[in-house]
Amino acid sequence: MNSVWFKPELANLIINTNDIFEQVPSIVTDIISGRLDIADLVENMAGVLTNKDPENRAKGMSFYTKILKGLPNDYLNDLQVKFISKFYIDRLKDNHRVIPPVIEGYSVLIDMTEYNIDNCRDFLTVLFREVTCQSQLRQDRYTIYLIIKKLCEKDIDYVKNLGPDFVYGVISAMDGERDPRNLVFLFEFLQFFLKSVPLGHLAEEMFDVISCYYPIDFHPSPEDPAAVTREQLANGLCPCLCAVQEFGESCIILLVEKLDSNLRLAKIDSLRLLLECCKSLKAETFVPFVKAIWSSLSRDMGHKTDDELKLLCHEALSAVIAKLETIADTDPAFENFTKLILISCQTSIAEATTVAQFVKSAKILLTTANAAPQACEVIARAMIPATVAFYEFKSSPKLQIASLDFLGDLYVLAKTKGVMDRVQLQVAEVPQVCLAAVSQTSKEFQMAGFRTLIRVQDCLKADLVLPFVEVLIHNIQHSQDNDLLSISVETIHAIARKYPELIMELVVKGKCNIENLEQDKAVLQKRLNLLSNLASIDDFTKVIIEEMLKIISANDPDALQVVEALSGSISIASVFTNEKVTQIESDHGLIDPVMTWLYKEITSTNPESLAHGYTLIANTIGSLPPEKQQNILSKHTPQALEQCMKDDIYFLIIESLYSPLHPTVYTSKFEEIMTVALRVSLSSENEVVRTKACALIAHLLNKAEHGQKFELLYELLKTKLAACSRDDDSLCPRLIILYGWITKALIMRGSDLFLFWLQKIVGVLNTKEYCREGSEAIRLIMTEYPEYLNVKQHCRISLLYKQRMFETFSGLSCKLGNLTPDTKESYLLSWAYVMEKAPKTVLNNQAKKVTPIVIDSLEYDHKDMLNVSLNVISHFVLAKPVVIVDSLQTILPRLVQLSRYMKSMDVRIKSLECLYDIANTFRTSILLPYKQDILLDLAPSLDDKKRLVRSVAVRARSRWYLVGAPGEDKIN
Amino acid sequence: MTKTADNVNPNVYDKGSEREKLPTDYDEEVEDLFDEREIFDLIRNINDPEHPLTLEELRVVEESNIKVDNKANIVYVTFTPTIPHCSMATLIGLSIRVRLLRALPSRFKVTVEVSEGTHVSEDAVNKQLADKERIAAALENKNLVQIINQCIVTV
Repeated sequence: MNSVWFKPELANLIINTNDIFEQVPSIVTDIISGRLDIADLVENMAGVLTNKDPENRAKGMSFYTKILKGLPNDYLNDLQVKFISKFYIDRLKDNHRVIPPVIEGYSVLIDMTEYNIDNCRDFLTVLFREVTCQSQLRQDRYTIYLIIKKLCEKDIDYVKNLGPDFVYGVISAMDGERDPRNLVFLFEFLQFFLKSVPLGHLAEEMFDVISCYYPIDFHPSPEDPAAVTREQLANGLCPCLCAVQEFGESCIILLVEKLDSNLRLAKIDSLRLLLECCKSLKAETFVPFVKAIWSSLSRDMGHKTDDELKLLCHEALSAVIAKLETIADTDPAFENFTKLILISCQTSIAEATTVAQFVKSAKILLTTANAAPQACEVIARAMIPATVAFYEFKSSPKLQIASLDFLGDLYVLAKTKGVMDRVQLQVAEVPQVCLAAVSQTSKEFQMAGFRTLIRVQDCLKADLVLPFVEVLIHNIQHSQDNDLLSISVETIHAIARKYPELIMELVVKGKCNIENLEQDKAVLQKRLNLLSNLASIDDFTKVIIEEMLKIISANDPDALQVVEALSGSISIASVFTNEKVTQIESDHGLIDPVMTWLYKEITSTNPESLAHGYTLIANTIGSLPPEKQQNILSKHTPQALEQCMKDDIYFLIIESLYSPLHPTVYTSKFEEIMTVALRVSLSSENEVVRTKACALIAHLLNKAEHGQKFELLYELLKTKLAACSRDDDSLCPRLIILYGWITKALIMRGSDLFLFWLQKIVGVLNTKEYCREGSEAIRLIMTEYPEYLNVKQHCRISLLYKQRMFETFSGLSCKLGNLTPDTKESYLLSWAYVMEKAPKTVLNNQAKKVTPIVIDSLEYDHKDMLNVSLNVISHFVLAKPVVIVDSLQTILPRLVQLSRYMKSMDVRIKSLECLYDIANTFRTSILLPYKQDILLDLAPSLDDKKRLVRSVAVRARSRWYLVGAPGEDKIN
Repeated sequence: MTKTADNVNPNVYDKGSEREKLPTDYDEEVEDLFDEREIFDLIRNINDPEHPLTLEELRVVEESNIKVDNKANIVYVTFTPTIPHCSMATLIGLSIRVRLLRALPSRFKVTVEVSEGTHVSEDAVNKQLADKERIAAALENKNLVQIINQCIVTV
């Protein structure tokens, strides 16, 4: 009880020393424990609170406020809070120095549980009367806003009843606020405030106070560590401006005016505001302004280079149309507006002489049509015949192609908007135009015609099928162009779905009859591709597949091509679904004949040409459900295993049977298969067979179910491998590669066991003899193969396995001892493989560690490694320039050196691109010292023997010319 | 800067397509010689000083008006002003020259001229553009360099 705060001397202490402020926690403890009554404390402070010197009174109030802050929210009772509130309100009338702690204290007081909202009426009245908010410091202004916000949150209904005086108080408090932080806070609060408190006659004042910030023009100081950005302010302001309907008219007038501004940012902000207005304001508000809005929008939509602006214009237009559509029944504005757009675009399309002009107007129409079904109907009805006429007008090939695409777009829109039945008459013309286009000989016309036809396939009439098929079949048999071939097949497919009988008659039994086999191999192959593609349509499956299987079983010389075509089509999942493949297999039995054919051919034919057969089997099995897979395994495994004992080449059949299994499939043969695969993978002399064996081991390990089944296989693998002799020189490289596959399988299934194998691989990286194989193993762990270990083969692929690999490898490689010059290259190469495939975000996190490795790699003469390193450097230049900036002195000469790297043009191109990016990214002051040297060093590349290199060199050199030169478009 | 453009409403033409990349372009062994198209690609995207359009879109430069001789190291470019009294002709010619100066190997002798009969003061413009010293002097002028750089910045 001896502490000073129990005595009246406390007052003097507060005046004279600052130490007493440190004691606040102890005082608070005493108050909470009941040893000290807060009223007594105030009595002891009397001397300072009523001191003549305002500075001392301020001290007293700060002390009091600090005590309040320390108290728990629920400590004070109703009466105490009321008393303290009265006291604080009274203090507001005091000298300006006293105000800050008073405001701060009141803010704390509001948080008290027992604070009664009735207290605030007096407080606010006095506050608005006595305190000029804008003459306070930033922090104190913030506190005032915070108090208002807290009060609104506490009891919004009470605050509403405070009436216009309160609203006026708020307006005058924030009028003229300049600090960005406070503004961000205010804008956020205002959105809530405006929507909850009725403004009455003060709406206009409020709007004036808010709108003076619009459009935001603000550049944060570069030194500010936590700067408020312009975007933050703009995003906050935008919803406030159109928060209530009362602002509507003024807001739209304001934004229409700013849409015509010369400042790009003002335009962008206005467009965003317009979008926001469409969300909150009534449609009627827009009616008087639509013409003005349209004229600004249509002008900016024609901007040549600014895509962001164009996109926003389109969004805004779309929003306005959608908004107007809501009152389409009562107000003619919607109809007038659509017509206005239609007429103006129609005119500019008719006058268009370049594709850019055509596309600009077409895009506007599409945006309009997309915004509202009614608009879509009007536009489709007018524009489809107009565009058809435009096409026939034969302006220029490019415009005609553009108009074909436009027709397709219009059709798709009409379909998605559900107005098809009302424009039937118009769309019926479109296929005829497509026919006219595909009848031309030029590839571009045909492509465009088919593209549009595929989109409008629903309205194709039966009488047009024949002419289309004529052109298509001619293309398919004679065209050399892959794009045209694949789109022709796609078109026939589309027509076949609509008119199966016609196509059956014309194509399958007519022109492309399979029995009418051609002598010309190339034509035959193209026909077969088409037929196997059509086989996916139910009506054709039976006829085509049976014919094809007949050829395969008859062991015709053409069987190879049939298998190739089938395998190609079945692997396209969008054409042949799993269900379809299952159905074909159960109805017609695809695997048996192909298998028989393979056995017959396997020893005599080149394995590469049989690859399609294996793929066909693997893909077919992969599409079957687990039970069926099991059946096929039990049927074919014995023979395959038996043959495999005699000749390793039969292992390819085993691989195609066992790779695509579902994880749930398990047979007693698995261990035997594993044993055979291990033997083949290490001892076969055929490299393809060895790789397939390794891949199968990886598949088995990756898919085996957790628990016993996996353990069994894994133990088997470990014992077999432990038995291998380490001394055999020829075996070691194969072992290392196998380790790579095992690691890959394990890391992909997310098993921790991979670490054991990866350690072995990283271990050999600093041995002279095997470092090459080590990096090769790392490469195959990181590479994704289309034929192994993917989803189609039901493998487990854990997310982020590449990231995990990156991190583990990075950890393990640190522990590697000193590298000799012999092994360093392989070490860096392994790093390159890991970095190439690791996600870029991971690289960003490890940038400090990775950069020296990449820079080191630039010294070595290894094409792949250089490519990867240049890619990583380019990535860092753009994404994380900070880590590169200090090394520019080293990097630039190396890049220049590589720009003349004779062995690979890719390396030359990449290094030149990187030099361009560097000139584009870093500040002029950093680049200027190197400018003259680089310009001289780049001159030889201008005369490179490859044109592609020259064009990049020109780009890089021209960019370096601009560094620090007048007219450079860079801020620094 | 209230001066209105000489030709307020020029004819605008479509851009040509990008040069097709042939398999030989990727063949390390084949040497690609400079051809007319390559020179055209270097200058087609130069901006017109008056309009937000490229020289290609205004048909100021065309592939057929370019001649290249790899053996004699000669590049000859003529350009066509949109109207015969275009006051920007010299500036356009200068931009083309500067662009080619920076983008072509120094072994080439570059000549830039106005196409015959397309400009009222054709000879004067050609003489200016052929005069090395006047070009060098022009490039000392900061304002001029700024305008030229802005014309060729997007190329």
